[in-house]
Amino acid sequence: MIKSNTTFPTKFDAIVVGAGPAGAASAYVLSKKGFKVLLVDRSREAGSKELYGGRIYLGPLKEVWPDLDKKAPIHRWIKKERASIMGKDGRIITIEYNAGRRTSFTAYLPELVRWMVSKAEEEGTIFVDEVVVDELLTSDGKVVGIRSGPDEIRSDVVIDAEGVNRLLLEKLGLVSGPRPEELALGIKEVLKVRKNEINAQFNVDDDEGVAWILMGDITLGIPGGGFIYTFNETISIGIVIHMANAIRAAEAGAINHSFELVENLRLHPYFNKLWKSSDVIEYGAHLTIEDGLSFMPKRLVYPGLLIVGDAAGLILNTGYTVRGVDFAVYSGKLAAEAVEKALSEKEGATEENLKVYEDMVRKSFMYNELKRHRASKELMKDPEFFTKISRIPLKFFSELYEIDKEVPTAYEAFKNACRSEDSGPLSLMFKLWGMVKKL
Amino acid sequence: MVRVVVGIKWVPNTQAVRFDPKTGTLMREGVPSIINPPDLSAVEFALKIKERYGGEAIAITMAPPSAVKGLEHVLGMGVDRAVLISDRAFAGADTLATSYVLAEAIKKISRDVGKVDLAVFGQETIDSSTAHIPAQTASWLRWPYVYYVTDLEIKDDKVVVSRVLEDRVEKYELELPSVISVFMESIEARDVRLLHKLRAKIEKPIVVWSNKELKLDPRCIGLKGSPTMVSKITWTLEVPRKKIVYKPKDPEDAARWLISMLLKDEKTSKIFKWVVGG
Repeated sequence: MIKSNTTFPTKFDAIVVGAGPAGAASAYVLSKKGFKVLLVDRSREAGSKELYGGRIYLGPLKEVWPDLDKKAPIHRWIKKERASIMGKDGRIITIEYNAGRRTSFTAYLPELVRWMVSKAEEEGTIFVDEVVVDELLTSDGKVVGIRSGPDEIRSDVVIDAEGVNRLLLEKLGLVSGPRPEELALGIKEVLKVRKNEINAQFNVDDDEGVAWILMGDITLGIPGGGFIYTFNETISIGIVIHMANAIRAAEAGAINHSFELVENLRLHPYFNKLWKSSDVIEYGAHLTIEDGLSFMPKRLVYPGLLIVGDAAGLILNTGYTVRGVDFAVYSGKLAAEAVEKALSEKEGATEENLKVYEDMVRKSFMYNELKRHRASKELMKDPEFFTKISRIPLKFFSELYEIDKEVPTAYEAFKNACRSEDSGPLSLMFKLWGMVKKL
Repeated sequence: MVRVVVGIKWVPNTQAVRFDPKTGTLMREGVPSIINPPDLSAVEFALKIKERYGGEAIAITMAPPSAVKGLEHVLGMGVDRAVLISDRAFAGADTLATSYVLAEAIKKISRDVGKVDLAVFGQETIDSSTAHIPAQTASWLRWPYVYYVTDLEIKDDKVVVSRVLEDRVEKYELELPSVISVFMESIEARDVRLLHKLRAKIEKPIVVWSNKELKLDPRCIGLKGSPTMVSKITWTLEVPRKKIVYKPKDPEDAARWLISMLLKDEKTSKIFKWVVGG
């Protein structure tokens, strides 16, 4: 009848700390290869600490779960890409691109992560939630397991998937504490709206969605932006602001509370008709990485340890594209492959044997993307880009379209727009060209 | 050596349940269930007894299969094993039918595993607050019962329990086996421990009993065994928020503004005047 106490093994091939997309992917791939894997997370339920409410790119995820697009809890496939520049006086420029094929989708990240973790469990991963890992155990300069309260568990290798808050790596002295220059603050609200209302308001079908980025006055000129994403029966809206600039703005008294920026977005007369009858059913905030390459630890591999996902700085934010979930999953997969290779060698998970993971990351599309878009980082921290430069096109269109008697030529409108920001057309062109090159 | 059975209830998180003012019903859809919080105190209490006298702690719950999540939590706290009583036949039970099933399950544990010395329950549940279950279970078992317990001491086959009332602490000596319910918030539940939770996941020390195992008279369980009738539910309508934001200069300014607003409103001004005495 009821099983009584017996002893059970407490040594694993791999321990994965953190059950987000990176941790779940590495646990899944390793378990599938037949390794004994323990996945540990502090949340009450897998995924419940996730906050990201944006779009997720399918490609890298499919390399881990080929049936993800059919089986996972996907809400809507992004059909419309919108970008808006917002001015102070209700003037807004919006462009829309109607996509030709399905490359990204919206999903509740907690739901999606639960699905990923359940796949890992199906392959044999032992998943333990509600447990905080206090430190990584080391012996002779090698990571040999984890400690949680009074309990220690050993493994040949530990995969650190602890996310942007790298408390374990900090404790080991492998990374320094968070620096505002590298980070951004994301604040999100989830609005409950009926499905057919979303479809009508955004002009999409049941399984089609909208990814909408906003810049300009929505962050009161603080480098960053706003976002709107549609889900099955909810809309997630929010803002992301560059931490260092946000702190400066707060100190200068330009913003009071950061959540007011999201409230301004929800109540904004241009947008609030899209969610007239909505209820705010959830709100939250999370740190995110603004500059992946500088956030990245010096090395991604130490004896007995690999670093994946956010903890490894693998997030790309170009201003018009945000990639984190797919990078996390892909880095988890690469780490698992490296572990398989290392553990097949006689010496096991030494730094030399695990090094292959770092090489794979540096050769991967992720690293390429981060390097390629590095220049856009500078732009994303540049207040001028978010104030002056975004006001000029608004002024241009207002000159062109808001007419009393005379219609200016497009050139005249442009000249006036530049003059209003103390800039000549030519110097502006140079400046813009410099900026565009960075994008 | 003491064998303690601790009862837990898997309840909707009432803080997340919303109310439909049109139909007068609870909207439970999508609301996650949790362990009834007072029951976590009962689990802590049971674990303390186990640590003090040796023996084992067994959790029982009558719930749908999703309650495995809750049982894993208490196993993670250090409970040794768990029984999930789960069967469509038990659905729709009131406290009478529920306590009957729980009492029979405790008898079955006594038969199959070994004599149960104590059954521990939480004071009440957050989703109905009747506090019937421990008392009724004790009645079915014909065991003595004391509620609002904060402490106990076992001596041979007797137990001395302390119970708190508002103004005093009383001590009772009971014969074992007996039933107690633990005074809410008198004891803080411990966190889940890695090794305990790991054992729960690897060994899965949870057994599921349907009515095939318990073999109870179908007339005494579930909806059929439940004489309770809910004749009427009333509720207070939600007061719509005024959504006024005032940015005060300092606390005094805030207080002045708040009082002036309270006095403007007919209802609140009455209450306010009554509170401050005119």
